[in-house]
Amino acid sequence: MIEFFDVTKEYNNQTALRNITFSIVKGEMVFVTGTSGSGKTTLLKLIYLAEKPDKGEISVAGWETEKLKESGIPLLRRNVGIVFQDFRLLNNRNVFENVALALRIRNMNEKDIRTKVYHSLKTVNLRHKSDSVPEALSGGEQQRVVIARAIVAEPILLLADEPTGNLDVDTAAGIMRIFNEINAKGTTVLIATHNRELFKNTGRRVLRLDSGNLVGEEAE
Amino acid sequence: MTVPYSLRLSLQRLFGEIWINLLSILTIAAGLFIVCLSFIPVYNLDVVAKKLPDKFSMIVYLDNSLNRNEINQIVNSLKKNKEVNSIRYISKEAALKELKSTLKDSDFIFEGLDENPLPDSLEIKLRRDAVDPNVVRTFSEKAARIDGITEINYGEKFLSTIYYLKIGLQTLGTIFIIIMSVGIVFVCYSTVKILFYRRKEEIETFKLLGASKGFIRTPFLIEGAFIGGSGGALSLIGIYLFSYIVFFRLADKVPMFKSVVIPENIFLSLPLVGILLGITGAAIALGRLRY
Repeated sequence: MIEFFDVTKEYNNQTALRNITFSIVKGEMVFVTGTSGSGKTTLLKLIYLAEKPDKGEISVAGWETEKLKESGIPLLRRNVGIVFQDFRLLNNRNVFENVALALRIRNMNEKDIRTKVYHSLKTVNLRHKSDSVPEALSGGEQQRVVIARAIVAEPILLLADEPTGNLDVDTAAGIMRIFNEINAKGTTVLIATHNRELFKNTGRRVLRLDSGNLVGEEAE
Repeated sequence: MTVPYSLRLSLQRLFGEIWINLLSILTIAAGLFIVCLSFIPVYNLDVVAKKLPDKFSMIVYLDNSLNRNEINQIVNSLKKNKEVNSIRYISKEAALKELKSTLKDSDFIFEGLDENPLPDSLEIKLRRDAVDPNVVRTFSEKAARIDGITEINYGEKFLSTIYYLKIGLQTLGTIFIIIMSVGIVFVCYSTVKILFYRRKEEIETFKLLGASKGFIRTPFLIEGAFIGGSGGALSLIGIYLFSYIVFFRLADKVPMFKSVVIPENIFLSLPLVGILLGITGAAIALGRLRY
């Protein structure tokens, strides 16, 4: 599903990722961990092509990203659900419309949009908040709206950047339950987090980053 | 499916940013209104110039000593010119009769005249395409060289004035219309660019979710079309109100206004012109933006 081969990324001569090589197979749930500035977010951005590598090769769901034309980037992104660290929710739209946006860009018809959005909101237990605007929701609820938007189009790959960032333990556990359910349905999941509690004793594979270097890759 | 959603999105944005859009619409309406006002005299002069060839005629005065055969020879010689459409012979008697009927209220002028002072003449109608100051002058000079022709009269100054005024106004009008059109395109360009930057974060989210360029661009093009079209429609209303007040209500007091022709068919296309200019402005703005 994801293959990194000798990938390096620099920002203004500062190395964000150095000679990274790893692969994630279809249906796997993998964690990327490390301290702030270790390169977790950069790694995710390289996958959904918000950034391009300075060196190395990346393959995502069969697409070789360096060969992908600009017009092909939206196609790749439509196969990837992203849970952004900063949420990226649109405050001038209600919860329903925020989630529906992921389907509207795919030109889906209104009836299917309604069915899928309500199903997705039900999965994250926010069906009753569909008319609320994001600003009126708690941090945990906003996080769940972002997850609903990321999974509504049934992507083959789900990326989550610090999905439990500022959430309390119970809410974080709830969100991890959702990710496990999504993964159980066959979606490949890659979660970037600094929170060890999320992957402790899960048996999932963990990629450890330190100052842009991949320093460990083992199952917890 | 993109268009209905894009349309909905555009309308939400248009009403969400009502003041900036209203200002753009009014600016475009004012621009198109000024273009239309300046177009009215150009159009009317063109109408006059187009009617001119049908009414235009040259009068060729003949030597009194010519007999009928010699006159026929002159007629045949003139008819050989490709500029000539028809020639009518007017005898001195017919000319006097015509003059008397024209001046029937001032017939005292003819008192004391023992003989007809008017010469025989030919009225020459030229082909439409030959009624041009330079062509007419060349033909007149050529005809004046024919023996038996004493004088040629065709209102040279009037003809030249109308034509050069028409060409001058057409040139000025075209330059003015181009300048105003560029201005209108620039207004739409700036509006779309401002709106685009105001929604940069939203557009970035669209992109990250996998939206195509078409999905992002279409609402802006619709907004450009709406702003331009509304400006066009407003200017159309404005020009009709202006025409009604100035050319119809004031026509009783200022008779000159009665003969003014309003190019209604052209003005009816104003909303369409606005839409095209609006889309052009939006397309240029989107083409220059990096996203």
